[in-house]
Amino acid sequence: MRTALPTRPRSATQYRPDRHALSRRSLLAGVTGAGGLAIAGCTSGNGTSAPTPSRVDMDAELRKPATVTVWTWVTIEEIARLFQKKYPSIKLNIVNAGQGGDEYTKFRTSLQARSGLPDVVQLEYNHIPGFRITDSLEDLTPYGAAGLAGKFNPAVWKLVSADAKVWALPTDGGPMAMMYRKDVLDRHQISVPTTWPEFAAAARKLHAADPTAYLANFPPADTGPFFGLAWQAGARPFTVKSRTDLKFSLNDASAKKLVQLWQPLIADGVVSVDPDFTDQWFKGMSSGKYAIWFVGAWGPYFLTTSAKDTAGKWRVAQIPQWTAGANESGYWGGSSLAVVKGSKAAAAGAAFIQFLTTDPEAYGIFVNKLHQYPVTTATLGDPAFVDNADPFYGGQKVNQILAKISQGVATDFQWSPVDEFVSSSITDTFGKAVAAKGNLSQGLDAWQKAVVDYSKKQGFTVEG
Amino acid sequence: MSAGSARRRMRHQLTGYAFVLPFMVVFVAMLVVPLGYALYLSLFRHQLIGGTVFAGLGNYRAALSDHLLWAGVARTATLLVIQVPVMIGLALGSALALDSGRLALARLVRLGIFLPFAVPGVVAALMWGYLYGPDFGPFAQLAAKVGLGRPGFLTGSWMLGSLGNVVTWEFTGYNMIILFAAMQAIPTELYEAARMDGAGPVRVAWRIKLPLIRPALLLTVLFSIIGTFQLFNEPNIMSRLAPTVIGTSYTPNLYAYNLAFTNQEINYSAAVSFALGFVILVVSYAAMFLANRRRPAR
Amino acid sequence: MTGRTGRPRRRSPLLTVVMLAVLCYFLLPLCWLAVASTKDTSGLFSSFGLWFHGFHLFSNVHQVLGYDHGVYLHWLANTVLYAGVSAVGAALLATLGGYGFAKFRFAGAELMFRAVLGSVMVPATALAVPIYLLFSKAGLVDTPQAVIIPSLLNPLGLYLMRVYAADAVDDKLLEAARIDGAGELRIFLRVAFRLLVPGFITVLLLSLVSTWNNYFLPLIVLNTPSRFPLTVGLARWNAAANGGSGSQALFNLVITGSLLSIIPLIAVFLLLQRYWQSGIATGSVR
Repeated sequence: MRTALPTRPRSATQYRPDRHALSRRSLLAGVTGAGGLAIAGCTSGNGTSAPTPSRVDMDAELRKPATVTVWTWVTIEEIARLFQKKYPSIKLNIVNAGQGGDEYTKFRTSLQARSGLPDVVQLEYNHIPGFRITDSLEDLTPYGAAGLAGKFNPAVWKLVSADAKVWALPTDGGPMAMMYRKDVLDRHQISVPTTWPEFAAAARKLHAADPTAYLANFPPADTGPFFGLAWQAGARPFTVKSRTDLKFSLNDASAKKLVQLWQPLIADGVVSVDPDFTDQWFKGMSSGKYAIWFVGAWGPYFLTTSAKDTAGKWRVAQIPQWTAGANESGYWGGSSLAVVKGSKAAAAGAAFIQFLTTDPEAYGIFVNKLHQYPVTTATLGDPAFVDNADPFYGGQKVNQILAKISQGVATDFQWSPVDEFVSSSITDTFGKAVAAKGNLSQGLDAWQKAVVDYSKKQGFTVEG
Repeated sequence: MSAGSARRRMRHQLTGYAFVLPFMVVFVAMLVVPLGYALYLSLFRHQLIGGTVFAGLGNYRAALSDHLLWAGVARTATLLVIQVPVMIGLALGSALALDSGRLALARLVRLGIFLPFAVPGVVAALMWGYLYGPDFGPFAQLAAKVGLGRPGFLTGSWMLGSLGNVVTWEFTGYNMIILFAAMQAIPTELYEAARMDGAGPVRVAWRIKLPLIRPALLLTVLFSIIGTFQLFNEPNIMSRLAPTVIGTSYTPNLYAYNLAFTNQEINYSAAVSFALGFVILVVSYAAMFLANRRRPAR
Repeated sequence: MTGRTGRPRRRSPLLTVVMLAVLCYFLLPLCWLAVASTKDTSGLFSSFGLWFHGFHLFSNVHQVLGYDHGVYLHWLANTVLYAGVSAVGAALLATLGGYGFAKFRFAGAELMFRAVLGSVMVPATALAVPIYLLFSKAGLVDTPQAVIIPSLLNPLGLYLMRVYAADAVDDKLLEAARIDGAGELRIFLRVAFRLLVPGFITVLLLSLVSTWNNYFLPLIVLNTPSRFPLTVGLARWNAAANGGSGSQALFNLVITGSLLSIIPLIAVFLLLQRYWQSGIATGSVR
């Protein structure tokens, strides 16, 4: 499609970093000012062997007038004002182009039309490879991003960088935790499950004691929680071997292990299989229909606004482990900000992203006022953040628990460039099996096949 | 023919063109050109890896054997066969009741039934989605209270009926108004004559009203056929509530949308849309043909 | 209802009861909407759907109007603008065109007319992508024109006006005016248009409804939230509960916002019912 249209040369509008302007002062020094760490450019993982990326003279760039359009569904206007105070020649235009899927659809259509594009776009981690494959994201290393590796949680850094390039900066995270209704578990004398076998036993016990209640809900068509749990179980459904070579193993042994645990619980109806985030589901969260919710670290704040009436009843813990005493988790959600390829304000856009994630005041607003779960090592280790006791959770130090969980997220998980198809095809395959309380393992196989077929049709060389 | 009358005829023709020109300009710009563009797009194939190549009729061949598309067509056809007669029947019955003059509160009834037409499809689907809720929807709550099982409005076997209900709710009033208006235009003398013959209201309705509003009836049926095949908003909203039931290809239009915007198969999506357009064309003409064949000779 | 069937106007209780039951079906969801808009979020989640639970209508309305710096009022104003301009434009084009097709014989007229009528069979999705691409070439994406221009096209309106004009405008009247030496435009404006007003208003209302309720087109061609119409805005609020970071459950806003959004259209229909019913009547007897 893209080339079926009369094409307009991209280079005309594409920003080319000036290869000769090798500034001594890195972007970072410019952006974070005196407080920032003096990470001068090229200390990326590979050290000296990597070719030094050409650097952009950020000081000069940031003095030039520019308008940066940012698509994000987080209301970051206050942070934008802070940035503009510091760099008065740059104007930020914050646009909420929709949450998640809505925004990606808009972004894709704008890319196809090559007009109406933002300069900076919010992307959840699983969508980064899909926009890389269409060459729609700007490499941030010339703007000093490579040096930032150490500032972020290693699991998320892996998700935004590849081949010694950085495609986005992580802003918020979603290591998976278990939220549970203390009142419900106490009432039925069920102890908090710490391993999956304990969880399975508790699920039967609760539903037997109260047929209207379920220990947990398994949303049939939401890839977020599924991949989060699969991640923890050791499943690695996607392997990106090169731009054109992919390997899929949606039905690998670990994924099968996961569905075999849930299969009898679902078949016997002791856990529910309701679609999540519908009004029915919200009511269920309020009424105590579900005693446990497995969710990314953004969940605790989410509940304080959407299930206000349940204040004091919830607690947060590690999700059940496959090996007793381990600390393993996966990711559900979280997002990043990327610079759109061809943006005329790429330098200013990159500077803003770095400002948001590394300026203490800006990121403080992002975390404390906008309630985004942090991904920077500084904040995750900051006592003021970690030791905060939350009355909604009965005074639990929720952030402390989450910070520990976020250390236990395996860093070798990859997303695929066809994630949109993966997410939509679950409804016709695995999700159907779950909703019908049918054979989940066969559902996984069908899903795998659909994804492989689609990817072959899209011209990828596919293994799996 | 004199030169004067030829000139007058020419002038007459040009004036005609001038009057229809503004409409036709918009028609060409907003329909013919985009459609031509879509047709052009449908002749190519795009891959994420490998770019775009000319595919000729390849997309159409693929569409012909695409079971997802035809399953969607079959589903909408089922809906068509069941929902359209129910809706038109309800609209016709209501229109006859209104026209009979024997209904108290007729004005209220007419406006009340018409009201849903003013409700956006998005809002209608949202409302019914709430009402269908399996745990907390009012129907489920009532059923629980009287000890009945939960109604499964959003389950696989009920979904088509549930969607049909939303569509019926939205468009019965509109169709009723068309039919009612057609009845109101029937000359009163015909009724006088029928009354002389001693015909009762049912006979009048059957023998006089129905034959005379036949064109209006055909119009409502045609629009319902087209609307049903193009069903999109309602299943799209409901798919949030029952993602595994509706999936990505429940109706052909939903399928075409997902192909274009999720799968990034815009070219194939265009071919699927044309295939759907062709189905609509065939079914509409078939309906018109059947209706005209059964029309008594004049 | 006047006893047009020539019978004495005796009310039938049975028929009335049946039709009131039918009426209940059509009003039920709207009653639910009205009741639900008086509840706060926790009331929505914890009470029976068709009965009251506290009374929060005013606070809900206040929230709807105040949320995100009053963006709802932007949506309302946009909807009025898009639907109003489109409806007047579409009705004018259809009236001009319908009059042209009804009262003038010219080569290709029948072909054009049939092409327009046939176009109602084109699926909306077939046009969405190409229209978007064409607009972006013209630099019109994310502007009011991108919603308004496609909405000017109303094939059914053209059909209706052709039928209406053939019936309502007497050829002899036009001939008389021509003999008096009046120009064609003048004849249209002074003689024909007055007779076409009920049809014009019918098409105006039908276009108003379809643009007011349109979701697909503005969803695709608009990006900036402050330019959205109500349908897209409300769907956006509804989707805000989708989960992930930054999500919020705004159900009470969606419900109260929906209720507010349908009131203006209902009011317009009630005010203008005298006109549109006669317009539909003529259109449907052919």
